[in-house]
Amino acid sequence: MKRAILLFLCLALLMTLPAAAAEGRVSYLGGAEGYIFDPGSEHSPSDLFPEFKDVMPGDVISQKIIVKNDAAEGVKANIYLRALGAHADSAEFLSKLWLRVKKSGEAAYMFDAAADDRAQLADWVLLGTLYSGGEVELEVELTVPVELDNRFASAVGYLDWEFKVEEFPAEPEDPTPPDTGDNGLIFLWIFLAILSAGLTVLFAKLRRRQK
Amino acid sequence: MFGRMKLKLCAIALFAIAATFCMQGTFAFYSTTGVATNVVTTGGIEMAIRETTDGGNPFPKEGVYIMPGDIVSKRVTVESLCSHPFYLRVKPVYGIDSEALSSEDCFKLNVNDENWQLHEGWYYYTAAVLPGETTPEVFSHVEIVGDKVDTGYIGHTLTLTVVAQAVQSEHNPLTDGKVWTASGWPAETEAKEG
Repeated sequence: MKRAILLFLCLALLMTLPAAAAEGRVSYLGGAEGYIFDPGSEHSPSDLFPEFKDVMPGDVISQKIIVKNDAAEGVKANIYLRALGAHADSAEFLSKLWLRVKKSGEAAYMFDAAADDRAQLADWVLLGTLYSGGEVELEVELTVPVELDNRFASAVGYLDWEFKVEEFPAEPEDPTPPDTGDNGLIFLWIFLAILSAGLTVLFAKLRRRQK
Repeated sequence: MFGRMKLKLCAIALFAIAATFCMQGTFAFYSTTGVATNVVTTGGIEMAIRETTDGGNPFPKEGVYIMPGDIVSKRVTVESLCSHPFYLRVKPVYGIDSEALSSEDCFKLNVNDENWQLHEGWYYYTAAVLPGETTPEVFSHVEIVGDKVDTGYIGHTLTLTVVAQAVQSEHNPLTDGKVWTASGWPAETEAKEG
């Protein structure tokens, strides 16, 4: 009986949790390791638009994209974005859709144009200066016009975004990000422990010889 | 004396290694780019017209031999094969392999008017067809009208083709709940045949 009540409570708790929307994720790993784009799709391994699939005329859909500096401790990075436009065979289809992009918490859109266009993202736009572990969130909104022609049913459109990172070491006057404990200098502490043990042994031997 | 010197050198070396660990930061400057190819896909509406006999077998593609007054078992339904709801209309189209004869009024269908409403030649399903749903029958039997199909029709082939059209029901409001008021019905020529 107790087990049944517990199970019921767990199910009730699960039902109160909101359904998580799939988010796109750009992780900058630092240096030669480059980027990881998630989640990808059957159409493109670097696809950041999981929510923009199987859309229908009249839909207005939002997509969240997280851009994160996942480089090792002590890396400061300026992260930029620019649009490269639609692939040639997708341009007509994507020209019928409308795309808006802004940083979360900001009112102004950094891109507000037809989805095939490069518009305000034709040139590099700075997303932010991110320290190791820091991230910026983008909100992308896709509007599919209700009058979209029937010939665009089951269509697939490709559009490229390019990210650029300028990486440089953090300086002493830079603000210190809160310590999450994820990237502690564990090897340094281990080394210092071994060093302390070694020195203790050394000084003990030295003292013994002096005696 | 030499032994003590050696130990001191060891201690200094260890401190130097520790200091190297602390000063691992470099002043290198990287600039790197990466391209994400993002994809937008649209959905579509897919359906299939199912025609079976009373026994549940598919209606024979080669047709059936008929006599005036016969009642032929032909149960017609439409199945949704997509993930979007849609409005649906179907129309029976009659034909005959003779220019001298007419196929009009040769067939009488027992249309299920509880679920299908006739409007300007089309039977409209009165609700949206949900993903994976199969509609109730449009009709289940066809009567070969004896008064019309006389001896002049002997040796000829009469055809009854069911055509269907669908339009998305999402973001597509109706006026007074009438399905034919939905926007975006395809042109008459763009019909799926059963």
